[in-house]
Amino acid sequence: MKRRDFLKFSASTALALAALDMDKKGGFFKAATSYAKETGSLPGSLGAKEVPSVCEMCFWRCPIVGKVKGGRLVKIEGNPKSPANGTRVCARGNSGVQLVYDPDRLKYPLKRMGERGEGKWAKISWDEALDEVAHNMDKVRKKYGPHALAYFDHGASAEFTREIFKALGTENYSSEPAFFQCVGPVAIAYLNTMGFVVSGTRQYIDMANAKAILLVASHIGENVHVSHVREFIEGLSKGAKLVVVDPRFSAAANKADIYLPIRPGTDTALLLAWINYVIQHGLYEKEFVERNCIGFDKVRAAVKDYTLEWAAKICDLDVKDIEAAIKLLAENRPHVAVHPGRHSTWYGTGDVERHHALSILASIFGAVGQKGGIYFPTPVKKAHAHCAACSEEHEIEEPDVSLRDNFPFVEPLPGTPTGAIIEATLTGKPYPIRLWGINGVNIIQTIPDPYKTMEAIKKLDFIYCEEMLPGETAIWSDIVLPSATYLERYDALYAYDGLTPYLTVRQPVIDPPFEVKTPYWIAKELAKRLGLKCFTCENEREFIEEELKELGNSLEKLNQKGGLITIKPNPYRSPDKLEMPTESGKILLYVEDYEDEDLDPVPRFVPTPAPPKGYARLIYGRVPVHTFSRTMNNLWLHNEWPENHAWINDQVAKKIGIKDGDEIVLENQDGRRSNPVKAKVTPGIRPDCIYLPHGFGSKSKHLTKAYGKGASDQFLITKTVTDPFMGSTSKRTNFVRILKGEKALEIPELRPVPKEIPRFELKRA
Amino acid sequence: MSQYAMVIDLDRCVGCHACAVACRAEWKVPVEEGYRRNWVKRIGPVATPHGLSYTFYPGLCNHCDHPVCVDVCPVDPEERTFKSFKDGRTKKMTIKATYKEPFTGIVLIDKERCIGCGACVEACPYHARYLDETLDEPKADKCTFCFERISRGEVPACVKTCIGDARIFGDLSDPNSEVSKLVKAGARRLESKVVKIGPNVYWKGKKKDIHALMSAFAPMEKTWEEVKNGPDRLRRSLIKALV
Repeated sequence: MKRRDFLKFSASTALALAALDMDKKGGFFKAATSYAKETGSLPGSLGAKEVPSVCEMCFWRCPIVGKVKGGRLVKIEGNPKSPANGTRVCARGNSGVQLVYDPDRLKYPLKRMGERGEGKWAKISWDEALDEVAHNMDKVRKKYGPHALAYFDHGASAEFTREIFKALGTENYSSEPAFFQCVGPVAIAYLNTMGFVVSGTRQYIDMANAKAILLVASHIGENVHVSHVREFIEGLSKGAKLVVVDPRFSAAANKADIYLPIRPGTDTALLLAWINYVIQHGLYEKEFVERNCIGFDKVRAAVKDYTLEWAAKICDLDVKDIEAAIKLLAENRPHVAVHPGRHSTWYGTGDVERHHALSILASIFGAVGQKGGIYFPTPVKKAHAHCAACSEEHEIEEPDVSLRDNFPFVEPLPGTPTGAIIEATLTGKPYPIRLWGINGVNIIQTIPDPYKTMEAIKKLDFIYCEEMLPGETAIWSDIVLPSATYLERYDALYAYDGLTPYLTVRQPVIDPPFEVKTPYWIAKELAKRLGLKCFTCENEREFIEEELKELGNSLEKLNQKGGLITIKPNPYRSPDKLEMPTESGKILLYVEDYEDEDLDPVPRFVPTPAPPKGYARLIYGRVPVHTFSRTMNNLWLHNEWPENHAWINDQVAKKIGIKDGDEIVLENQDGRRSNPVKAKVTPGIRPDCIYLPHGFGSKSKHLTKAYGKGASDQFLITKTVTDPFMGSTSKRTNFVRILKGEKALEIPELRPVPKEIPRFELKRA
Repeated sequence: MSQYAMVIDLDRCVGCHACAVACRAEWKVPVEEGYRRNWVKRIGPVATPHGLSYTFYPGLCNHCDHPVCVDVCPVDPEERTFKSFKDGRTKKMTIKATYKEPFTGIVLIDKERCIGCGACVEACPYHARYLDETLDEPKADKCTFCFERISRGEVPACVKTCIGDARIFGDLSDPNSEVSKLVKAGARRLESKVVKIGPNVYWKGKKKDIHALMSAFAPMEKTWEEVKNGPDRLRRSLIKALV
């Protein structure tokens, strides 16, 4: 069986999917019942009417209250009832106000007038827009078959329309850059060893109670998820030791007891040598491993040749430091937070292996189900209203050759690798793809090789998007449907199953402006036009009430309690009663299923090619005030961080004559050039890397604040390697040199590459 | 007499900028170059004698014991009666347009009387003030330690939103307050050999981070003569003459 509706899966997979937040529900509205009314004319945000809701400036979704004065949203704060964030929200959460009032917002349905990518539109009516989308969906489906439709999606706004694509029978109903360009490898690694997605949307890692924490290129603090950051800080404030492995000295690295500036692409070498060291020196939890793990002896045999000395050479680290680090971690077992990581589509080859190695390290420390280790999500009871999706079960008929065929471990998850969709769109093979729907994701700024994506779009019969802002997705679409922000709609109940569980609901703080409509309304109208029985409730509020009723609650009751109910957490298990959600109930250190597909059942170190002479590896990350490219046009966030800087090692800069603040251009191995960007010269990055924060360098002139500000890392990522497990595409396999004026500056190689690591070969014209 | 103060714990700060944005939202600070009551500046990664540091300067008005901004205010003093929001006591004091509130030690601006001359903006060695020229009549503006909120039993907006609980706010005159204890334990303030005007915002953290902060953001050093006879002296006297 190749294709299954993922909702029909086993209990363990259901848990995994819950962890990925892929269990979907639906949404609509009418003014919310607030629990605090507006009073008097007090200064600042004091005395505002407060409406509890759920943030979606990023996808952590903190509980919030929207503060309204005189019908205008003036401020957003954390929901004081929330055990996760209390009154706190991050810079982005605070700036939701400026998403709502962004003067560049999409206000009416639009139809493309110029070429795709030009951003010339005419205002049309909702009827015209919806008729055209439905007509094209139907036409393409009839002419080329259901799989000619593809849907790129992300976030709560995208979930209703996903049901329509499913109902139309395409296997390409969920192609999430959030998975295939982000969490895919880590999610798959832990699903196969521990039986649940230890890291997907959430990371179930108990840093708050850890005695030691290991971060492998996790930039907590630059990547801001409020409760996650709080747990990290709480752990450190209680004395947890911190080891950070990262080619760049991040905000988290600054807090480390031991910082290891590793050569990019060699993390697995370090982890395997550490695992070997732990086993050789008896620094593992023997009883835990015997009772709870399968394949320990095979791991022991597989890692026996990976010594610390070897790793020191491969990773370009001091052997004393890596020994001190592993001792520090081992001393504190089992209360060690071996962070699983999150964004993990780095090198294509070896990504799943790296996170598999992390899961082995955590397991032999016994750091699973114990305080300070990997913990279990607390199941939060949810209900399913009849009208949150389609009324009938639609079987998706597998095509003769599926785009998922080459990826044996994509199976439990919905969706098709984005790379495979783009390839099929360009080539028509193995079957034609002629229509794209896009919802909540900037496919140009998130999927590698945007040049190829743009070529693919030119081949389509039709492309439409549902969006809030006129970014790249909108300018490449034939029809643009203006969608309500998270502050303007009901859409679902939100259950948090982490250390501080709760149930809450997203509800509108204000009404949608202009002709903007909610995602539920749009999906409902599309379904109607396509003759599908979906979304039969009048609006979101109706089905939320239905779901709350099933849980013995109601919106009114919930709002009387501040819009949120806390739930008792159940994260830990006694080590002698550990029951993993795998078939055997145990942790699979050795994954036999991988062997069946000719993949390594125990991770093996396969080096990723080193930079060619004269180039540095392009690495990227996030700045704490932005969520990818989504927030770049936000008045307050743009003001805090309007453009990015290219981090260049100070010794390299000195050798090639670059000074801090110099304007430079980056050119990649394929000759693609960035926007001009300022150099940040610092000792806080290895000489063989250049770091560029992600999401900047917007190409849409309609984003009047963000357009052209800073350089886009994505437009320098043109070389990708596809992961063999689930088809994700690598993003750290690109190399850049510096142009100053018209002069190309070769990056000197200050850290020689050992012969075990091959070198990337430049294509010479 | 009370003196409100803030201690910012750099070990708990991740440099997320929530404080700066929450402040802008709370007080509707316009988005213009240099307009802010509260800011986060990033320092490094930079080498220090204590190791590599990548830290932050979360800053705001220092509500100094001897505020230069008050000294230079050219507005004619006027008598005002102040009332303590804690116990209702009252006190009479003559104040210019900017003054140190007697019951809290918070430096405030009387917007009604501010003539928008910008003398205080120039004088502040911490660049904590800005002149709001988006108004019909420009006025100086800066952090008030959320006086309007704390006098109603609320915490400052930046404290309320701080995701790492890195900002500790309280009364230094109370030896048992958290801020007093942290100051006693060695929290540091931004001073130089020349500029010692008693700032009431403190930072604590790793040696390397405090070193990086003190080196990168020492107060601006100007002599009293320079402050009094700054380049905008003429403009200020003109404005005063017009008022």
